[in-house]
Amino acid sequence: MFEVFKKELKELLRDKKTLLFIVALPIAVFPLIFAVMAFITSQAALEAEQEVHTYAIINGEYAQEFTDKVFYHKSFKLYQGDKTFTTAEQLKEAVKAGHIDMGIYLPSNAREALDGEKQSEWQVVFNDAKSINFLFQRVKELATEFGDSIRADKLASYGISEELQTAIIDPIKVVKVDTADKRESLGEKIGGFIPYLLIPLVLMGASYPAIDIGAGEKERGTLETLLLTPITRTQLVLGKFITLLVSSIVTTSITVLSMGVWITIAINVMDLEIAKTAFSTLHVIDFALIFIILLPLAAIFASLALAISIYARSFKEAQNYMTPLSMGVIFPIIVALLPNVELTAKTAFIPVTNVALAIKEIIKGTVDYTLVGLIFLATVIVAGALIAFCVKWFNKEEVLFR
Amino acid sequence: MIEVAGLKKKFKLTKDHKKNKLEKTDPREDKDYFHSVRDVSFHCNAGEVLGLLGPNGAGKTTTLRMISTALVPDEGSINIAGQDIIKKPLFGRKSIGFLSGSTGLYGRLTVKENIEYFAKLHGMKKAAITSRCAQLFDLLDMHSFIDKRADNLSTGMKQKANIARAVVHQPAVVVLDEPTTGLDIMTTQTVIKFIKGLKEQGTPVIFSTHHLDEVALLCDRVAVINEGISCFDGTVTDFKLAGNSEELNQAFMNILTEKRDV
Repeated sequence: MFEVFKKELKELLRDKKTLLFIVALPIAVFPLIFAVMAFITSQAALEAEQEVHTYAIINGEYAQEFTDKVFYHKSFKLYQGDKTFTTAEQLKEAVKAGHIDMGIYLPSNAREALDGEKQSEWQVVFNDAKSINFLFQRVKELATEFGDSIRADKLASYGISEELQTAIIDPIKVVKVDTADKRESLGEKIGGFIPYLLIPLVLMGASYPAIDIGAGEKERGTLETLLLTPITRTQLVLGKFITLLVSSIVTTSITVLSMGVWITIAINVMDLEIAKTAFSTLHVIDFALIFIILLPLAAIFASLALAISIYARSFKEAQNYMTPLSMGVIFPIIVALLPNVELTAKTAFIPVTNVALAIKEIIKGTVDYTLVGLIFLATVIVAGALIAFCVKWFNKEEVLFR
Repeated sequence: MIEVAGLKKKFKLTKDHKKNKLEKTDPREDKDYFHSVRDVSFHCNAGEVLGLLGPNGAGKTTTLRMISTALVPDEGSINIAGQDIIKKPLFGRKSIGFLSGSTGLYGRLTVKENIEYFAKLHGMKKAAITSRCAQLFDLLDMHSFIDKRADNLSTGMKQKANIARAVVHQPAVVVLDEPTTGLDIMTTQTVIKFIKGLKEQGTPVIFSTHHLDEVALLCDRVAVINEGISCFDGTVTDFKLAGNSEELNQAFMNILTEKRDV
């Protein structure tokens, strides 16, 4: 078994492609991807924030104060073209045609309604299909501001003081008293994201070399010679399995370390307060606990990847089979991200979901150590069953000589 | 000595195979199974080379895979030095050296590492590995490329490395499945020389081939399989007599035709 492990490890370390996936990718490419994604997202948000939209307003003179607010707002520019607009329908057509970004339609009785005691309905015409769109929100803010001032003036004219106005309009004020400390609060927000990153990497660390170790043996014609040596199939499977387990753990460790380094850089160089708050409360013991519960999960992935790979006739076939496995792993992680899905004695038995939930709880600092023990036990049992299945798989002629 | 008696092996037909089958074309196929080997028997004594002959799909490779313990027979026995290797597969694996035309090497390991790896899997000690490797490197003239990675070897070098890998543990019986298929003349000569060497050492050798000139050059005995059944097992002289021709090719054709007609 040890000889098989030593040989597999030697081959793995000499394979540049595998090294790229299990070492270089977690060190350099992942932080780079995240940095690029963060940059693009923030740029898009910034552009949306700074974008100036052309607008047209109909019957604006009936609410001059509001019209002025829109006119002087930094994000809006009044349409100066040749077209004239008199109906809401014309505004819609103009938005569709791209002549204006937004149209505001005030009804012709807007002034009467505002002066009297009726509600006036205004229309904001725009294309809401864009993912980042502050148009409606901004106009609504300006209209609310305008409406608040009208209401305050009217109530004052009836002799109602400002204090009384607040009591009438908003009789109950609900104040939030959060018992969650900063760590728990931030852990809830980012805790779900960490397993989403870590668990697929644990799988990748096992699945990529597994293709070479299983299907690769068939394709090279070395499997048959290996099966004819006097080592037992159990020794053979364990030798290969431990190689994949080590590879998976190394990938995970490198990723966590790499993330740690990049987080430190983010805190010290960029002085990111949120990163400081989120990560400074995490202790070494938390990282160790995350690492420990990932171990049996790595064993599950290693045995699954090995079983799939040995079933495949070729490298290409193995790669095809690994794709559904990768997708299948994402699903239970998403379940852990769903609201109200918490770590309980029941969810502790759902493979992958249990580990994702435990990581979230560890980051939040609210983990129940009994449940962590239960997860470890459940995952070890599943991993053991899968290894046994792998050994059985390696004894099947119809699998080895398909 | 190795003795093979009454070997049988069937494979379950896949759903795809059943679906795509238009009509029954092979007598070995029934509703659920393909009876690849139906009744194969032969033997090979110490210092003899046995040529296993048969048309494509006759069941030669399945038979050799059963002898090498890669496949388990449904029925029959395979005895090496009086021990049934079907019941004692680990003994069989220690006793047999197997090589085929499609056997590969670990490309990212050097030739030396490849051979040493298999020696270790056979449970050999470090000192024994060193001396046996040195012996094989001399015998097969491999010193110039033992530290090269297998990926960078020529076909001839690869086959030499494969030969060394197959016999590093000094097996009692050597089994070769079409070892010269796809090889150039120079490499074929290396394989032939290697088989002759084994014969001189008294090791029984079983090899399957389509080249009857190799049979004429190397073999003491011949076994013929057709449609999974033994048609002939005897000496080369008996083979010519049974085939009613001094030409091995003709004798082979005659034996197959005669059996088919029967």
